[in-house]
Amino acid sequence: MTNTMTRPTRRTLLQLAGGAAAGALAAPYLTGTARAATQITVADPGGPFGPAFRKAFYDPFEKATGNKVVNVAREAEPTAQFKAMVETKSYTWDVCTLTLSARDILKTQGLLDPIGFAHADVPRLMPEAISPEFMGTDVYSTIFAYRTDRVKNAPASWADFFNVEKFPGRRALRKNPIDTIEQALLADGVPLDKLYPLDIDRAFKMLDKIKPHVAVWWTGGAQSTQLLQSGEVDMLPGWNARLQAAIDGGTPAKIVWNQGLYSIEGWGLPKGGPKADVARQFIRFCSDPKAQAVFTEVLAYGPTNLDAYQTIPAERAKVLPTSPENLKLMAIANEDWWSANRSKVTERFNSWLLA
Amino acid sequence: MSAVTLSSAPARPARLRLSALWLAVPGLVFLAVFFVYPVAQLLGLSIVDPESGAFSAGAYQRIAATDVYLRVLGITFRIAGWTALWSLLIGYPLAYWIARLPNMFRGRMLLFVMVPFWTSYLVKTFAWMIVLGRNGIINSLATGSGIVDEPLPLLHNQFGVMVGMVHAMVPLAVMTMLPVMAGIDRRLVQAAQTLGAAPARAFWLVYFKLSLPGVAAAGLLVFISSLGFFIVPAFLGGRQETMLAQLIITQVQELLNWSFAGALSAMMLVAALVSCLIYDRLFGLSTIAGGSAQVSTGRIRDLGLALLSAVATLSGHLARLAQTLLGKRVCAGLLPGFCWLVIAFLVLPTLLVIPLAFTSSQFLEFPPPGYGLSWFQTYFSSPLWIQATIRSFAVAFVTALAATAIGGFAALALANSRTRWGGLIFALFLAPMIVPRIVVAVGLFYLFARLGLIATDLGLVIGHTVLAIPFTLVTIAAVLKTYDQRLDQAAATLGANRLRTLTGVTIPLVKGGLVAAFLFAFITSFDELTIAIFVSGGVKTTLPKQMWDDMILQLNPTLAAVSVVVFIVVTTMLLIAERFRSPS
Repeated sequence: MTNTMTRPTRRTLLQLAGGAAAGALAAPYLTGTARAATQITVADPGGPFGPAFRKAFYDPFEKATGNKVVNVAREAEPTAQFKAMVETKSYTWDVCTLTLSARDILKTQGLLDPIGFAHADVPRLMPEAISPEFMGTDVYSTIFAYRTDRVKNAPASWADFFNVEKFPGRRALRKNPIDTIEQALLADGVPLDKLYPLDIDRAFKMLDKIKPHVAVWWTGGAQSTQLLQSGEVDMLPGWNARLQAAIDGGTPAKIVWNQGLYSIEGWGLPKGGPKADVARQFIRFCSDPKAQAVFTEVLAYGPTNLDAYQTIPAERAKVLPTSPENLKLMAIANEDWWSANRSKVTERFNSWLLA
Repeated sequence: MSAVTLSSAPARPARLRLSALWLAVPGLVFLAVFFVYPVAQLLGLSIVDPESGAFSAGAYQRIAATDVYLRVLGITFRIAGWTALWSLLIGYPLAYWIARLPNMFRGRMLLFVMVPFWTSYLVKTFAWMIVLGRNGIINSLATGSGIVDEPLPLLHNQFGVMVGMVHAMVPLAVMTMLPVMAGIDRRLVQAAQTLGAAPARAFWLVYFKLSLPGVAAAGLLVFISSLGFFIVPAFLGGRQETMLAQLIITQVQELLNWSFAGALSAMMLVAALVSCLIYDRLFGLSTIAGGSAQVSTGRIRDLGLALLSAVATLSGHLARLAQTLLGKRVCAGLLPGFCWLVIAFLVLPTLLVIPLAFTSSQFLEFPPPGYGLSWFQTYFSSPLWIQATIRSFAVAFVTALAATAIGGFAALALANSRTRWGGLIFALFLAPMIVPRIVVAVGLFYLFARLGLIATDLGLVIGHTVLAIPFTLVTIAAVLKTYDQRLDQAAATLGANRLRTLTGVTIPLVKGGLVAAFLFAFITSFDELTIAIFVSGGVKTTLPKQMWDDMILQLNPTLAAVSVVVFIVVTTMLLIAERFRSPS
């Protein structure tokens, strides 16, 4: 990948800007001189996201509006920081990327502000990608991958993944009930469109069968990449971009999109933020299909504005979750169900793991 | 009631106690503001219903309703206990051996022992994955040479967790025991032998007994620090190795149920305090806190002596057996041989990181498919990485100074006073180690937001000092324990005032402990991630935070390159310091 060489320099520049920005914030008289231009602080997932978002969204937005965007890396689970920020009114961020589950948790606790536009304003946006407090910019998918050098009999579904006799190989699962429960039900024959509400008892019966054959229970995205890349396991579920990173790095592996579950990441506003107007303008800007297409050059996440595929090369579209061929094989994970049941099911899952 | 207590306490000694305890006041105030208050506020959430805000015991009822939390607590204690035991078993001979070396070599050996300190937890853990994995170095060698047919299960089970945790904790154990051992007068062992004790007997009943305060301190530090681990069990453990800190983090960060997180933290805190009490009963924790050597009296003491005596007899037989079987020459080499093996174990992950840093691959894979400097280029051309490095060093340095001063004075206060409050004060100073870091971090975030300390270096220093104080206190207290107070009295008799006694007598004599305390505090800050995540607000990043941010998609070799740079810088600094320290 060519971007690796230029990446640090780009990120560097904006972090330098970040330092300068913090200085400017500390001295209010300085910000007064910068009248027209407002500077917003955007929390993105960090790492390779920084330069990718910079190229696709931040720089074009700065050019188009004259405002400045400073980006900082947020935590993998920014909800705790988000909550603390709103409750103490110390707005280090004006806008932050959230997953759908984070959005729901924050929304229930009244920590989000409305984004100020609706689906009718951007009709080509996937309908699931927009709600009053959230606009999705990218789609990630939970699928599984297998090592083509070790697994000769190619698995094509979750039933195959759970079938250890017919498809021998070392397996990993995620040490988390989210997605894992769905995978067990899909393996047991529940149709993709009839998953929810999840039949937990049925799922655990299925998981009981595979339990002795699971060599590794992974906990973090970086770990899943490493497991596939190093050959520690032969097949494992994971998030498409992480497993794609191993494949892009030369690992002989293949992603199975069939029966995948996708979800959406996007922008949310902390309640009562002082620069909400510019932040809203920024969120709206990120719905632009051309900007979203640029983003997918660097990271294998799917655009939420499906018009983006008009400018994405066909070869690249193959590894993106929202390309028509892949999207039709998958369904969206139901966050409502999980919001209501997550803590109970997590408890049972943890208990089951220890047994 | 109060009148009775007042009249029963003799007036003069009471004033004396007070004056010594004054030295602990700065530390007490500091911890009250930046630790007790924010943590209590957060723990208070555990008895409040998250929705209605009314008093509720729901969170505790939920813990009681299932056995999963108690079982995880049990696992956490089991893993921490085994880690402490193995760290002592491996660390004691090493510390003993190093303590006997001539001064010049001692410093150099310590550099080896401290090597794991300078490699970040994240990098160390991934290095162990490369060593222990199915296609890892050990298994490639074992299957390649035909010793075994199937790869050995070394990873993703309790063995993997123990390797990672013991590796991280042996330096702490050695560094805590060493100042105590260095303070033991070896002539006492010779005297015992002159009086007819067999070497084994002289060692166990004289040397080992004198080194016990160090062993007790090391065991406690390792045990308590191990309770809060979450990166190692997450990456090296299997299905069964879930530790409580992981569940608390999930509640705080993912489920946002701070009430329940508070209840889990409270449970962990209580369990840790209870185990401290039991530990105190068994091993005499108060030997560290207070000055008195005679804590365990009566039956427990007799039992302990009988046990030591039995161990001495047994090891005496073993030694004779070994000598007849192996010969004197081989036996003399056993201890150094073992110690070099331990040192090899300690430096292995760091050595592994060096080739990984020069890899041409995108991944941390071993052996690297090719070599190049691109990852160093990435590091040096990035002001972000450089800034994070400089900030980490600066914050760690200031933290180490502050924590050593606060912890040192507190240790002095506790050593010189005999109040019944001593135990309580000691427990308070240890508490930052027991409370899960995520709880401290969230609590501090709320406090700092009101004080305007978010995204400041001062905020980082304060947070890290809170975490480092237990280490400095225990280390210095352990040295003061072996320190002869009569030297201070002698200085006072000869006309020195308090300050002069402190600077002219006490400090030079406990220098070893102070240096160790400073290093502990430095490394606590240097490798700290949780506080940095919350307090930095993403703006003021430290090195661990920057590494954490960078491994979103994959663990790329920049981290290895950074580790190598940090390692070179630190080693150079320590070598220079060593040169200045010993003029010989």
